[in-house]
Amino acid sequence: MSATPPGPAPSPRRRVRRSRIGRYLRHPGFATGLVLLLVLMVVAIAAPWLAPYGPNDTDLLNTLAPPSAAHLLGTDQYGRDIASRLVWGARVSIQVALAVVALSLTLGSLVGALAGYLGGWTERVLMVGNDILLAFPGFLLALALVAARGSSLENVILAVSIAYTPRVAAVMRSVVLTIRPRPFIEASHAIGMTSARVLLRHVIPNSLPPVIVVATVSAATAILAEAGLSFLGLGVQPPTPTWGNVISDGQGYITTNPWISLSAGSCIAASVVALNLLGDGLRDTLDPQMRRDTSSRML
Amino acid sequence: MLRYVARRLLLMFVTVAGMVTVVFFLIRAIPGDPATYMLGDYATTEAVAALRAQLGLDRPVHEQYLGFMRRAFSGDLGSSVVTGQPAFAEVLESLPWSAALALAGIVVAVVVGVPLGVVSAVRQGTWVDMAVMLGALAGISFPVFWVGLASILLLAHEVRIFPALGASSSADPWVQLHHLALPALVLGLSVAAYIARLTRSAMLEVLGQDYVRVARAMGIPERRIVFRLALRNALIPVLAVIGVTFAWSLGSAILVEAVFSRPGLGSMVLKAVFARDYQLVQAGVLVLACAVVLVNTTLDIVYGLVDPRVRVG
Repeated sequence: MSATPPGPAPSPRRRVRRSRIGRYLRHPGFATGLVLLLVLMVVAIAAPWLAPYGPNDTDLLNTLAPPSAAHLLGTDQYGRDIASRLVWGARVSIQVALAVVALSLTLGSLVGALAGYLGGWTERVLMVGNDILLAFPGFLLALALVAARGSSLENVILAVSIAYTPRVAAVMRSVVLTIRPRPFIEASHAIGMTSARVLLRHVIPNSLPPVIVVATVSAATAILAEAGLSFLGLGVQPPTPTWGNVISDGQGYITTNPWISLSAGSCIAASVVALNLLGDGLRDTLDPQMRRDTSSRML
Repeated sequence: MLRYVARRLLLMFVTVAGMVTVVFFLIRAIPGDPATYMLGDYATTEAVAALRAQLGLDRPVHEQYLGFMRRAFSGDLGSSVVTGQPAFAEVLESLPWSAALALAGIVVAVVVGVPLGVVSAVRQGTWVDMAVMLGALAGISFPVFWVGLASILLLAHEVRIFPALGASSSADPWVQLHHLALPALVLGLSVAAYIARLTRSAMLEVLGQDYVRVARAMGIPERRIVFRLALRNALIPVLAVIGVTFAWSLGSAILVEAVFSRPGLGSMVLKAVFARDYQLVQAGVLVLACAVVLVNTTLDIVYGLVDPRVRVG
């Protein structure tokens, strides 16, 4: 006879949560993206311990050295270790991606939700403003804002967030428009909940899933935009290492020392692939129509 | 239809007015005094005062705004602080270079992206589909300026098919096209990745519709179903997105022009940023943004012509 006493059965809510997490993790794209992103975050956090040299340690007797045991990806024109600069550069990219997602998700969700929920003139005014910002090419707007405010990590984050918030707001509004007429919103009003409470407790939380997908893709775009600005010399200023300015440093040596730019570009691509896979995985799992065939849609 | 076109044109006017407003306040986002920022820390008080007067910064903001709006709509975007030339004229000089690059890029994107998306959808779940989608994922993930550098290394330095410089002073159109080819390919391939993904999902949706099933049951050949029935309908949403990709490609063109040392609006804006020539920066940004609005409005009108549901909506 079995002597093992049956453990307490998990609550229905926990079971639902577990099955939802399992569904995400079974999606090959989502799982790959998550693993890649976790690796990237560990590298960014553990940069002081992982990087063999300081990001700005120069060795003028060993400039533009090819990859070797001492310098896995070689050195740049100042003799700085490329691998160490890439490890430290991960911090800037992750910081930008997280801050842009946080800012654009908060601002965009608020603007989109207010427009979609309140309707009328509020919606018209907010959406005209949103459409005007949407009409600017995102990278151009970010470039113009950084040019006006000056190059610094904070200004890059602010500029990229302002450039990409309208996309989140547009998606949020369209989702809120589908949620607003639902019976549970009507019921919330009927039991005497204020509009602000309905918006914060019911409308925004129920509209978030598709917006989170857009925000994930925005994080990928933010990494590309930051790298682009740094490449042009308008992003985070040297000697702070970023993947964009490592590519820019290697540009002049692309024919003699291609590994400088190539390795930095691969880091950017790996992080953007991770975020895109994560976004695609979230979208496929959240959309029941697409869930039927996740294997072929993982890419 | 006329009402729809009028509505779209009115919306375009409102959007352009809004853009002029955004650009007007952009220069005022400069911390401190814009005139001091433009002239640098060692400028004399007289020079700063003269520039403030030239830019109209010594007048009340509402007056400056109305004046700026009036001048912008009459094509007067001020003068370059560096060259003294009218900013709009300098922008118009650079515009054909950027227009040629963006147009060539979109052509490459459509020619490569649409067929790949169709093949991927028709061969859904096979290795062809996987390969195309992997390629598309790489296309949207690698930064366009990095692809540019890699292509210079491979196709201009190793194989030597294309020149590394994106422009030539030669008047021969073939030489110009030869110089344009690599930048256009780099820009186009990154946009093609988006178009391939979108065409694939639009095709999959259309191929699952009842009328396609009926056509198959009627024995219509698969090739005809794909190209005559499905592709036509799948291209409607793709057409709408080409406007968005145009805006994206204009943004990326700044990076492509920088990599290939190609003249154009992007290079001009970038040079103006480093020279703190804000009159030129705002003129460049405004014209680029207006070009996007113009393309989007045109595509919206075409979209309305192709799909009557859009006009009603």
